[in-house]
Formats: sequence, C-alpha cells, structure tokens
Amino acid sequence: MNAQHQYQQSESDEALALGTDPVPAAPYYKDDYFDLEREAIFRRTWLNIGHACELPEAGSFIVRQFDFANASILITRGRDGIIRAFHNVCTHRGTQLTDETGGRQSAFTCRYHGWTFGHHGELRGAPDMQRFYVQQKDCGLRRVSVEVCAGLLFVNLDPSPRQSLREYLGALAAQLETQPVASATTFSEYVYEIDANWKLTYDNFQENYHLRFIHPRSGGGGAVGPDNQFGYPTRYAFYGEHRTQTIWTNPAPQLSATQKLAFGRLVPALMQRGMMNAEHGRDYFALFPNFFLIGSPTQHFTHFVMPISARRSRGVIRIYWVGDDMNASERFGREFSMAMLRDVHSEDRAVIEAGQRGLNSGALEHIHLQGQEVLIRHLMYHVDAKVRAYQSERAAAGARP
Amino acid sequence: MSGAAASLPSGFEALEPFVAFWAVDSAAQRAHCRDVSDEASRAAFYDAAIGLIARALEYLDARPLGRFDASEQRLMRLALSFAHVSMAVELQRDQEPRHARDRPYMRITRAPADQPAG
Repeated sequence: MNAQHQYQQSESDEALALGTDPVPAAPYYKDDYFDLEREAIFRRTWLNIGHACELPEAGSFIVRQFDFANASILITRGRDGIIRAFHNVCTHRGTQLTDETGGRQSAFTCRYHGWTFGHHGELRGAPDMQRFYVQQKDCGLRRVSVEVCAGLLFVNLDPSPRQSLREYLGALAAQLETQPVASATTFSEYVYEIDANWKLTYDNFQENYHLRFIHPRSGGGGAVGPDNQFGYPTRYAFYGEHRTQTIWTNPAPQLSATQKLAFGRLVPALMQRGMMNAEHGRDYFALFPNFFLIGSPTQHFTHFVMPISARRSRGVIRIYWVGDDMNASERFGREFSMAMLRDVHSEDRAVIEAGQRGLNSGALEHIHLQGQEVLIRHLMYHVDAKVRAYQSERAAAGARP
Repeated sequence: MSGAAASLPSGFEALEPFVAFWAVDSAAQRAHCRDVSDEASRAAFYDAAIGLIARALEYLDARPLGRFDASEQRLMRLALSFAHVSMAVELQRDQEPRHARDRPYMRITRAPADQPAG
C-alpha cells in the first residue's frame, strides 16, 4: 500500500462502521426507490427552503413549490412577527390560493369564490358563508410545520413531525447559529434544473476528489494544491444523519488579477462588519438529506437539491450577505463572488448529468467509493436506513388486524 | 457616438465604446452579455478596463450607492460586467466557448446589485 498522504485521513471507527463495500447503483436512478425516498424521507424531514430575511415585515410572504409532493407552501409573517406555513390551498374547493412567488399583502383572496384568509391562516370571510354546512372558524388554511435555525427556514411536510428542528439538528444547531447566515439580510441566488437524481447531484459536492479534473481553471486552486492534489479535507465529522468536513486551505492559491482585486475589495467590507473571524470559515455543514452550507465568509453559500423525480432535480444556490452593499467596492466584490461560484457550479452540473446518463443505462450494478468519498457513503447509508425503516413500518401497519 | 457621448464620468472616456453593450442593469443580463459575446469583444473590453477598474471603484466609493447620477450608474454597471467578463478572459480562456454552453443552465434570480437602493 502506498504511504499515507499527509492530509489523508485515517478512517475513523465511525467511518469504517459504514462499511467499505461498493454501493448499489439502482437507488440513483430507479423509480421505485425514489418513490420510497419520497415517503420515507422528503415527506417527513425538515427541508430548508429559504431564509427569514425574505419575510422582513408583517404581511411578507413567500411561496415554495415541492414538486415531489405536488405541494405549494405559503409562508407568511404575521402581525405578531411569527412565521407560519400553510398549504397554498383554499379550504373551500382546493384552488391554489396565490400564484405569486412572494411579496407583501394584507390578505389572500381566492380568485374562484372570494374566500379571504389572513396571515395566521384564518378564514376572515367568505361570500354567503351562512349557506355552508361548516363553521367559518373550522376553515383555516391547512398548517405546515415551519421552524427557523440560523435564520434558515425549514419546512416539514409531515402533519406531525417526529422531532423539532432543534432536536433534528442536534449539536449542529449551535454551530450554525455562529455562521454569518444567521444574521444575513440579503443574498445572491442562482437556480438550476438537472437531469440527475438528487443524491448523485448532491454527492458531487461531498467530495473534493473531482476538483482538479473538473475545475482546473475556475476553482482557483483554493482546496487543492501541489501538497494536496486530491483535496483531502483536514477533518470529517458525523452527527447522526448529518456530517461536516473542514476543507483544506491551499496556502498559496493561484489567483487571477481580478480575483485579487475583487476579494481585496470584499474583505475590508466583511472585516468592517466583523464577518472575517468566522470560527468555521472552512467548514462544510451537510444537513440530511439535501442541504449544505459553506462557512467561507467571502463565498458563504448554501445549496439544496430538491428532487423532482428519480432522474430530475432542482438546485438552489444562495450566497448570503449581511447588510446592503455599503459601497461600489462591496457591490463589485459580491457580484464577482457570485460570477466565480457560478462558473464552478456550471462545470459541476454538466458532469453530473453525464454521470446520470451512464447510470441510467444499467451498465453498473455498483458504485465504488474511496476513503475521501465517505460522506457520500454516509448519506447513502442513512437514506437506505430510512427507506428500510419505512418499509418495516408499512409492513407492520399492513399486518395489523 | 452622439447620445452616448460623455456618458461616463470624466477620466473614464476609454470605456465609452463598451457602454452600449456591457452597461446593462441586472446580474442575469450581465451574465448573458458574457455568454453571447465573442472573444474579440471580451478582450477589447477587458483590455480597456483592467487598468481602470480599481480607479473606477475608488471614484464610485466616494459617492453613496443609490445616489449615483446616470453617468456614475453606467460606470458601476460596466464594473459589474467586468466582474463577469474577467472570468472568461483570465480563467476560462480558450475553454470559454465550451463553458458558455453550460452556464445558462445556472439561472441568476437575484443579486444584491439588482435590489432597490435602501
């Protein structure tokens, strides 16, 4: 065996407990497995869908689509300042209540028969209500659980979530609260659709093995370098279903003239805001099932991959910022930060689709994962555990008299 | 150059030829300009701007955002487009045409520069 690289991790007991066998390929393209994931995971897990800064005042609202569940969720901030979520469905005959994606308004009126709802979900009134055989007070919008951690909004489509968001996040909740995202007031955003399974898409961002091959120009050599050509992280950690790594920092990255200029303009503004001393500046937080956050202050971004079907997904990438642009230099630095990250992610998207096309052929029965790809193995391990638990639950329910 | 004459603050005349194409008003449009431009036009803009961009930012930093006059706003927009085009010229280089095929799938939906001034 070759000598261990200075940055190569010795597999921890926790990592070795996940096994070293190849991983079955079918869960990355088969419809029947995706159907199980939808029920076992996505319909009953806390999912990030936005940030509290999108609901800055009473009457603010956003709407988010969950294609895998055919669900549209309306999230509001009420006069009491509380954020609530509802199915975007009129309780009269099921019409989608609003076609807007967000904004601010005092009430939501169904265009079909004029039923009007407030921000707390209450039915304020309906034309000719006395002719119905139901009480107005029983016709509020259907509630959906929404909770906030570090400013991040998480929704759970389970009518009775088994855990609160804080219970779900465990020790990571406190770490997330130390991140700039917790005080973010605005963000850059780009979105993409991809012909690829949500796990295959997400997994691309769980390993640094590909960086030197896929991002030789755009990556800037920040996480790989002559001393660490494969980008071994300096640390992994597992937190139940979640996981983190600390990305290696190249001490001598090759930066272009404009990269130096842009980050040279951005950093003073970040220092002025006290954002350059982030304790977890090179940390990667992966929250089960489909969300991650990078701690880096200059490109402090989140990414979630929402499934649409077994072989199609939608990704949302946001670079969170604290405060409005204070001057032209900060505005330039933020624009450059997004342009650079978008170049990197464009390269990822293209190669992920190529991977999906290969898997769809059924040519491979298994996927081989190396030591650095242990985070991918960890995700698949917990996905499969959820799927198996769901199957057992259904079997037990079916066996009851 | 009739209506566009002196459309930029004094000292930045060398960037006038690039206003019509590159001084657009949203991040998505700036990315699109990069996508549809050819190598010669990117190089011309980059070569003209690389020596002026730091000075342009210093000039604009002396003024509050949101109170730019029309010429200053154009200069800001050129600087923001430069952020995009520099990726093509400095980093992607000969791979830019191939890269431009994949980039539009990453649809920019929001940027701080596009938000109304506070």
